[in-house]
This record gives sequence, C-alpha cells and structure tokens, in this order.
Amino acid sequence: MKILKIPRGFDLNVAEQPDLSCTHLALPSSLGCCAGDIPHIRPKLLVKEGQRVNTGEALFTDKRDTTIQYVSPATGQVKTVIYGPRRRLMEVVIATESEDEYVEYDPVDLNGIVGMPRDELVACLKKGGLWQGLLRFPALDCAEPDHSPAMIIVAMDGNDLFSPRPDIILKDNIAAFEAGMAILRRFSNRLSVVCRESSLEGIWEIGRSVAEQITHTAPDIYPAWHPGAVLYQIKQQAAENNSWCIRLDHLVMMGRFLLSGRYPVEKIVTITGPGERQPHMRVRQGMPLSALVGKIPGNSLVTTGRFNGRILEKDAHIGLFENTVNIIEAGPGEEMFGFARPGLDKPTLSSTFLSSLFRRPAKMDCTLHGEERACINCSYCERICPNDLMPAFIMKALHADDLEDALALGLMDCCRCGLCSFVCPSKIELTQILSDAMDAYYKDKE
Amino acid sequence: MKNPLKKFFDDTKPLFTGDGKYKKYEPIWDATKTFFFLPSVKTLVMPFVRDHLDLKRYMSIVILALLPVTFFGIYNTGYQAGIGAGESWSVTRCFLIGAWYVLPIIMVSYVVGFAWEFLFAVVRRHNISEGFLVTGLLFPLTLPPTIPLWQVALGISFGVVIGKEVFGGTGRNILNPALTGRAFLFFSYPVSMSGDVWVAGKHLMDGVTGATALSVTGAGGQSITAALYDAGYSLGRLFTGFVPGSVGETSALCCLIGAAILMVTRIANYRIIIGGIAGFVITTIIVYLIPGGQDSWSNAGPFYHLCAGGFLFGISFMATDPVSAPGTNPGRWIFGAAIGFLTVIIRVGNPAFMEGVMLAILFMNVFAPLLDHLVLKYKSSKRIPNV
Ligand code: SF4
Ligand code: SF4
Repeated sequence: MKILKIPRGFDLNVAEQPDLSCTHLALPSSLGCCAGDIPHIRPKLLVKEGQRVNTGEALFTDKRDTTIQYVSPATGQVKTVIYGPRRRLMEVVIATESEDEYVEYDPVDLNGIVGMPRDELVACLKKGGLWQGLLRFPALDCAEPDHSPAMIIVAMDGNDLFSPRPDIILKDNIAAFEAGMAILRRFSNRLSVVCRESSLEGIWEIGRSVAEQITHTAPDIYPAWHPGAVLYQIKQQAAENNSWCIRLDHLVMMGRFLLSGRYPVEKIVTITGPGERQPHMRVRQGMPLSALVGKIPGNSLVTTGRFNGRILEKDAHIGLFENTVNIIEAGPGEEMFGFARPGLDKPTLSSTFLSSLFRRPAKMDCTLHGEERACINCSYCERICPNDLMPAFIMKALHADDLEDALALGLMDCCRCGLCSFVCPSKIELTQILSDAMDAYYKDKE
Repeated sequence: MKNPLKKFFDDTKPLFTGDGKYKKYEPIWDATKTFFFLPSVKTLVMPFVRDHLDLKRYMSIVILALLPVTFFGIYNTGYQAGIGAGESWSVTRCFLIGAWYVLPIIMVSYVVGFAWEFLFAVVRRHNISEGFLVTGLLFPLTLPPTIPLWQVALGISFGVVIGKEVFGGTGRNILNPALTGRAFLFFSYPVSMSGDVWVAGKHLMDGVTGATALSVTGAGGQSITAALYDAGYSLGRLFTGFVPGSVGETSALCCLIGAAILMVTRIANYRIIIGGIAGFVITTIIVYLIPGGQDSWSNAGPFYHLCAGGFLFGISFMATDPVSAPGTNPGRWIFGAAIGFLTVIIRVGNPAFMEGVMLAILFMNVFAPLLDHLVLKYKSSKRIPNV
C-alpha cells in the first residue's frame, strides 16, 4: 500500500462530522430520478406522466448514447416530470407503492462475471442503469466500453469532507464489492483503490479481503482522496490521462445488481449541518430532500458537497452521484467594520485572522465574505491547488481566448475541487471558469 | 435595535440601485457602505463555502504594516524640525509638529486620489477596488515632509491616472501607482525631491538644510563611514531612523517590523523581500570588495546601505505590491534579487540618483510580465501533457 502525499489542500478542522451509527429511513411517498447531477448528459425522456413503472425500468436515456439508461428507483406512477432552464430534463418523480415490483435479470455469479463476454457485460450494466457509475477522465463523462483505460481508480470516499464512510457502505456488501472489482478487472488490469487515512481502520474491521486490495491511502486533507487529485499524484505518462474512475457505492451497486439480478435501490447518505451530529442513513435511491432533513433553517443553503456539489432546492431529490447533504448556514450577515475585526471566529486558510493561530473547529457559512474584484496576482489560488495548477494564469489565458496556453498550463488536470475559488481574496469564480472551459473543450473535441 | 448607520444605508439603497435617481453614483455608495459593512451575499456556485479573507482585509493588513513607519515618520518629522530649530522638543511636541506637516500630505493624497478613483468608477461603472487604500498612504510616505501640497496632489493624480487607470484599473496596472507618482515628482520637481531635504524646521527657523545620508561623500581621503559619522549618520541612527529623509523611509527598524507583519500574515510574498535583501546585500559586498572608491558609497558595506535611504521601505512595501510584481514564485525570487542588485548599482554608479530603489522597482515592474512568461513556459514544459 502506498501513502499518497498531497502538498496542499484544505486542512481546517470542521465540526459537523456525522455519527458512525446508521439508521434506516422508511420509504417516502415519492422518489425521484435526477438528471441534474449527471455530467454532460443530454437527457431524453422515455416515459409519460401517469405511466406506471417498475423498479429498475428505464425513465430516461442519454441522447448521445441511448443504450445508457437511467432507471426508476421505485415502483409506481410517474407523478411529475420536472424541467429546468431551457427545458432541460431535471427530475422524474415517482409516486411510490409500498411493494416493489422489480425488472428481473438473470443473476450472475463471480465466475459468470469473469466468463461473460465483455459486450454482454456492458450491455447488461447499461440496461441495469449502472454503467454510468464508471467515469472517464478528464471530463468525467461516462466511460466508453470499447476503450481500455490505463488505470481505473476506485475512490472509497466521496466528494465531501463528510461523505459516507466506506465501512458503512461495505457492511453486508463485501461479496458485492468483490463482484464489482471483478467487473473492473475485465476492463483494466491496473486498479488503484484509494481510501482516506481515517477510513482505513474501519475497512480493516469490516473485511480483510477488501482492505488488502487497497493500493493507496490519501491523507485527510481535502481533496487528497478525490479521483482527480489521486490521478494527478500517481500518473506518470500522458496515456493515463484517460483513466477511468468509480466511486465505492457505485461499484457495490454494480456488484449487487449482477449478483441479484435486481436494481439495487439502497444507498447510504450523510447529512451534515450545524447542531447535532446526525447518523449515517440507509435510504432509497432518489430520496426527496424533505424526507432526509427535517426543518431547514431559513436562509441557509443545502448542497451536495460544500466544495463541489450542487444546490438542492427544497423539493429536490438526491441524484445517483450524490450521497451527502450539507446544510450550510448563512452566517451573521453584514458585519460592521468586518474587515478590521480580529476574527477569532473566522476560519481562513490565510494567516490574516487570529483564527489561524488556533485549530478550533471552523464554522463555515455560505456567504462570499466580500465582493468580486480584479485579480491582484496574489497566488493564493496557486498555493492551494492540489494539482499544481496556476488557476489565475489559466483564467487569464482563457480570458484572452488562448486555449492552447490554458491547456499547456494544465487546464485539463483540474479536478474541480473548488479550493481556488475558496481562497481567492478577490472572490473570482475560478473553479467555475476553469470547469466551464474544460467542459467546452471536451464538447468540442467529442 | 437596528444600527442607525445600517438604517441609513438601507434607506438610501433605492436611490442608488436599480432605477434609483442617483444610479450613476452607485460605486460611491457601494464603496462607502461596504467600508462600514462587510458585504455578505450568498454563494451561488460551487464551492459554497468561502474563505473569510477578502481584499478589504488584505489591504487592511498592509495598512497595519504601514502604521509603524507612519507613526515613526510623523514623530521623526517633528524631531528633525526640533533639531532644525536648535531646540530639544518633548515627544508630544515632536508628534504634534510632525503631524502638522505630515497629516495634510496624507489627507491630500487620499482625497485627491479617491476623487480620481470615484470618477473612474462612475465612468467605467465598476466597483471601487480597495487597492487605493494602500496607494493613498504609501505615496505620502515616500515624500519629504516639506513638499508643497499642490505637488502631492499632482503626484497622486499622475500615479492614479497614468500609473493605474490608463491600464484599466487595479489588477491591470504594470507599474506600482504610488511609485509612479513619486517618480513623476522626482523628475518634474527635482528641487523639492532632491537629496538635500529641507527639513521641516525651515519654516520655523530659515535656512537649515539637512543632506540625506545617501548624498554624503567622504571629502579628501576620508572614508565614507567616517564621513557619515561626522555628518551625524551613525549606523545606529540610520537603523532607528532619527535622520532627515522622506517621511516613511528613514527607519530601517520600522520597515523591518512592517515587513515582518506582511510576511507572517503572508500578505506580501516573502520571496520578494528575502530575495531582494539577499540580492542587495550580496551586491553591496561585491562592490565593497572592488578596490577603490574609499570615499564613496561603494565602500559603505551592506549595513550602511541597508539602513540608509529607502531600500527597505521599497522592498517591503513597494516591490511586494502583488499586482505589479510577478505572479510566479521563481519570478518573484528573480524580481526581488534584481531590485536589490539594481538599487546598489544605481546608488554607486550614478550619484545623481541617490534613490536607486525607486527606479529599480519601476524598472523591474516593467519586466515582471516577461519573468512570468518565462516561468510559465518552463513550468508548462514540465507537466505531463493533458490535451
Ligand atoms: S484549479 Fe482550482 S478547482 Fe482545479 S484542481 Fe486546482 S484548486 Fe482545484
Ligand atoms: S487567488 Fe484570486 S486574486 Fe489571487 S492570484 Fe488567484 S485569482 Fe488572482
């Protein structure tokens, strides 16, 4: 096992860590299948409002590849179809029935996975609505089955500081994990399994066989365990730029799906917020936010990852790629002479507030703490970037329409961790600028 | 209870925003409001949490670092005036007299400079950047206390308009605006800026001049250090700063305190300061080792060079202005070291410009983008390509 070192990142002490116990939430009256969190997709609806669907039945697909399906997490009638701006499909909401009727497939055992023709395996996973868990760098679009990636990174931990712990996801799922790994081995013989230092012990306890397959541990400094940051740390040649990655929960889902022949509807979700520590929750795919969190304090923001998720509206449903919900308060509002306060209670990665002298739990809020200004060339963004980028210079190259320069400076190595925007004193939306440019370039190339 | 000031801003908001009557003057309203109340809008795009550091805080720290030199400068102006008057004044008296000279300069600099900032903000319809908070204080500190106020106004106008706004405002300027203003005055009105500073006391008792340390030379085979000592510039005095000179630059000690604040808070990049001092010291040692020039500054050695003149002030507060310095770390080392080197070379090579540091920094400001460009080229070539 190798220990990854990450020279920079976010290492403030944030309270709000979820409890390690796990509770089970009941089936809510509606579940959703969300398209809002799926990168690059051009969704095409396959059902109508009022139509009855079974669990595992396709609800929408991707116009770019109609063999990839996004399936229903529940049995029941399609209640509403929600569109976002420019009539982009956002969610398909199902009114749930208490008994599930599954779309059934033939179960495949471990030997079957090893022996099955690769096309058949891919077709099966696509139909089952699970292929999209495998993502391809650098744009993190769906993996293309006829590529053979140089490496597949298995990320045991999620996108947020407090995504579900791998040991809780793995509980009762060891066989599914093994099956998932067997699937991956069909596509690449180089699997890099990465977990956070703090998750390692739990994994050892839950299953030796899993722990023995871990190839890298990453320090508990955000975003050291992100697939993008990991890839940057371990890649040695350009061929690895198009590696694939998959998150533990999707890997387990794939395994469960093949072993049981049914769409796995369960997922583990964490909820973080000010106040009491909440347990991990074993819930259905596509849970409505309202069923997950009780009362949301007014004026706060609900997101699926404080650095790199999306904002959840009150009536939103959790997407396939999301397994954490952060409730972030709005903070104290406009403070008089805010810039001149000693700032014991102001968490910062700089050294300009007294808080930087003490490692007290940082209280984060969802405000900008300033206004947008021109870049002052301070290099704070460079100092924090885990992938050795110079976001300010990339941004300037992009503004000058010099894509070549931006690429040469490593634009496509950005893992969208959000830290550059986090630190920028001029409050420039660097991550968004870089991320949009990456997507545009990827789309052009496609 | 609602803060009355807050109420005022809430009440006036409709006038200045949206379709308000004074919509044109929104930047002014905004700048005033955000000075009192830290703006706190919600984040709309990821990441949803943000650091507390913003430009207001950033610039406030620079102001904080400038306070020691400012207060010492005020005191020293009074102190020098006392010497000029041939009397020994109490600390309070020195302060009051010093403030009498220095505060109007600072005020003129801020008022005139902000007037320009407001004008450009209104015309260009953007918010006012905090950068001027620093420029407005830096500029007066580089001036001799006896400078006529109309020259202050002229200098800061030149600095803001030509040094900054013609490039497109804060963030786009190539030169340090405060230094640009000073250089303008230096070349346009050499008499008021020359090495022979008329100390503030001349208004009280006429005809007293004090040559600044850098214009001293040893006459008739006297070594430079002895000549300096005779002229009242012992190393200790130069270090603490009880010598005539521009308001902020005389005290090496206070400049070092400021530099320490800037480096500890990481507001200034330590590479520039350390690189600058290193380049400077090495060059002074080299010129010291070159034979000859017993009586000139080339033979003064690193300590006298460091403590006399404005090098420490310049490298701590002027060269570290991030906008006009390089944005890459290797670039910053080179930038700092080159300023140190050039300062010494100008000092020894051309006694007509005693203040080498000003030209050195402006010169390197011009080269900063080139340094960045080279570093970026090199760095790009080291990356595993990903296209
Ligand atoms: S450029 Fe910004 S978002 Fe991208 S990896 Fe660096 S810090 Fe993260
Ligand atoms: S942190 Fe912001 S202001 Fe500083 S260099 Fe980066 S983009 Fe510019």
